[in-house]
Amino acid sequence: MKKALALLLALTMIFALCACGKQAKAEEITINFPSVWVGTDSKAPYMEQLIAKFNEENAGKIKVVVEEQTDYQAARDKLRTTITTGNTPDLCILDTTYDIKAYTESGKFMDLAPYLADGWGKDFAEGSYDAWSVDGKVCFLPFESAVFTPIYNTKIFNEIGWDHFPATYDEFFQFCKDAKAKGYNAMGQMAGENGWSSMLWYSLIVEAIGGKDVYANGLQDPAFVKAAEILKEMYDYTFDGAISAGAGDVNGHWLARDTAIYLNGPWWVANLYKEDNAKDGVLLADDCEVAVNPKYEGGKGEGGLVTTVQAFLAAAEQTDPAKKEAVVKFIKYLTDPQHVSELALSSGAMFFVKYEPSPDTSLISQKLTQVANDAAFTVIHVNGAFPTAFSTEFPAALSALILGQVDAQGFVDQLQTAIDNAA
Amino acid sequence: MKLERSDRGPLWAFLGPAIVLMVAFFVIPVVYVAVVSILKWNGISTPAFNSLRNYLMLFKDKAFTRSILNNVIWALVAGFIQVPLAMVMAIILSRKPKGWKFFRTVYFFPQVISGIALATMWRAIYNADTGLLNGLLKAVGLGHLAKDWLGTIETAFPAVLIYWIFYVGYYMVIMMADITTIDESYYEAATIDGATDFQQAIHITIPLIRRTSLLTCVTLASVMGLRQFEQVYMLTNGQPANTTSTIVLYMYKKLQDSNYGMASASAVILIIVGVIFIVCIRKLFEGRGETVKVKKGRAGK
Repeated sequence: MKKALALLLALTMIFALCACGKQAKAEEITINFPSVWVGTDSKAPYMEQLIAKFNEENAGKIKVVVEEQTDYQAARDKLRTTITTGNTPDLCILDTTYDIKAYTESGKFMDLAPYLADGWGKDFAEGSYDAWSVDGKVCFLPFESAVFTPIYNTKIFNEIGWDHFPATYDEFFQFCKDAKAKGYNAMGQMAGENGWSSMLWYSLIVEAIGGKDVYANGLQDPAFVKAAEILKEMYDYTFDGAISAGAGDVNGHWLARDTAIYLNGPWWVANLYKEDNAKDGVLLADDCEVAVNPKYEGGKGEGGLVTTVQAFLAAAEQTDPAKKEAVVKFIKYLTDPQHVSELALSSGAMFFVKYEPSPDTSLISQKLTQVANDAAFTVIHVNGAFPTAFSTEFPAALSALILGQVDAQGFVDQLQTAIDNAA
Repeated sequence: MKLERSDRGPLWAFLGPAIVLMVAFFVIPVVYVAVVSILKWNGISTPAFNSLRNYLMLFKDKAFTRSILNNVIWALVAGFIQVPLAMVMAIILSRKPKGWKFFRTVYFFPQVISGIALATMWRAIYNADTGLLNGLLKAVGLGHLAKDWLGTIETAFPAVLIYWIFYVGYYMVIMMADITTIDESYYEAATIDGATDFQQAIHITIPLIRRTSLLTCVTLASVMGLRQFEQVYMLTNGQPANTTSTIVLYMYKKLQDSNYGMASASAVILIIVGVIFIVCIRKLFEGRGETVKVKKGRAGK
């Protein structure tokens, strides 16, 4: 009897242990995803739906937990710190301000190359992820793209007496003078915060002068000095206080319809269609037209387009194969062409994933896509072409240039010194 | 005084936790920062020994030397303008004039608002285009004085600094608490002798709080001045042309560049500047003998 009881107890324990093992295997995998596509970001509404749907479809198996990051710069700082301290999130959104080579070589990120080679890669634009691979490893998967080309207010142009966007920079400055004479700001500039708008203009001018190989010799190309002179001149035709202005000021003037030309990424297109930004019942988009970067006389950049990788998807290296598969599954889900098509429709943003554009795509987005398709070549935005120190120093160098503390050569030298110090 | 063997146990029992916490949260981080300051490290690759090059690069960088200068100015202004202002307010309100409770609350109120919110508000006030300050100047016929306050080299740093000076509530409350402990009999005796309120403040109040709350407030204010970050970050991000930069903002930008070596080197310099400041302040306050040698609150007892 005792033996039978002991056998029964032993069997019960073994069964319980097996059950424990099964329970552990069936445990829900949590994917930690700090995201900036939340809050007022144009991609937030669809992303929220998409993640909720994924969690629903994988209920009890995988759960994506979004850590909301509503401030882009704070999100960068936090990510940099968490990665440095060995707490790389399961999935994160990174941009060109990170040292992609060092991060890839660190071994802290998952290599997605085998998965891409397994057929998934066909969903992406030709060569898009190869350009960012390091020794064959694709840890930074380019996801959101951006083209930077001017958008202008046709109503203001008509009031000024212009029926077309300037084709050359000479013509551009003639337009600026006419706009100023009529009491309009030709364009928005900002040397405050991170100098984003001015940095975009600088990229456009650099591209117009230096063409597709402008970055071949770093900042040594004369295009950078010449472009600085032109950028400085632009400050004569922007709103008062542009030296201390931030993105809010630039956007505010554009929305107030006192600025003729606006330059930002395609993610901003959704704002043109917002009822809140309409005036007298007319959407801002109805008065807008997409232009191309003016040509610089004697320059090499005709037909070129400034682009960047706005967002990479990068996942932490995983030791647990099940979690690794779960993370890859979620990335594949995010980059599914159908989902990306809907994300593009809802936000106006552009992507490296090849997708069939929705017939409901806004006119401005269609025109931006057309400009991208028509480009003879592309040149990356300056903040992606140089180390982060370039972007960090840019506002200081720019304000020094505008206030006459340094000349155009001094501006470029200041940026070069910042890069050298960080190297 | 030599401790008895039996006293040592309780002494270490009381000191032990504090020492452990001090070592864990101060000594180890400081040593770590000092070590990183002599490395070349981007936070992700293998660190390499860089000798004192980070320090040499710091002192070659005009933005850093400007940051030190700004911090020193800030600390001096905090210690020797902001705190004396707070002291004046504390002395006045301690006399309990009509409405003193209301004014005490009003002066202290900014302390409960976050620095970020205050900086955002002042950024709107200074806005060249739509700001209240330029609007007021234009309204009173002084439109020619309107300017981009935060975007002009001559005005940017004073603009960042000046509004903050008047937020004296924190130090004022500390000193008020100290002043209330001074025995009333001193003032009664001084009044009988014909001393004015001003003379009483100079000869009784200030000497009695000089080595207590005044020293504490000057030290605190100076250290706050050396640590300034959010105000500058929100208002100017160190611009124009790095003229409003501070050491902590500079350090933050180096961290953004993943230049952990230079960021740590600037942190070490900040610690050194802070120590020098604290030593100087203590020397300044201990330098002269006490004017009034009677202990507060014990007169006549």
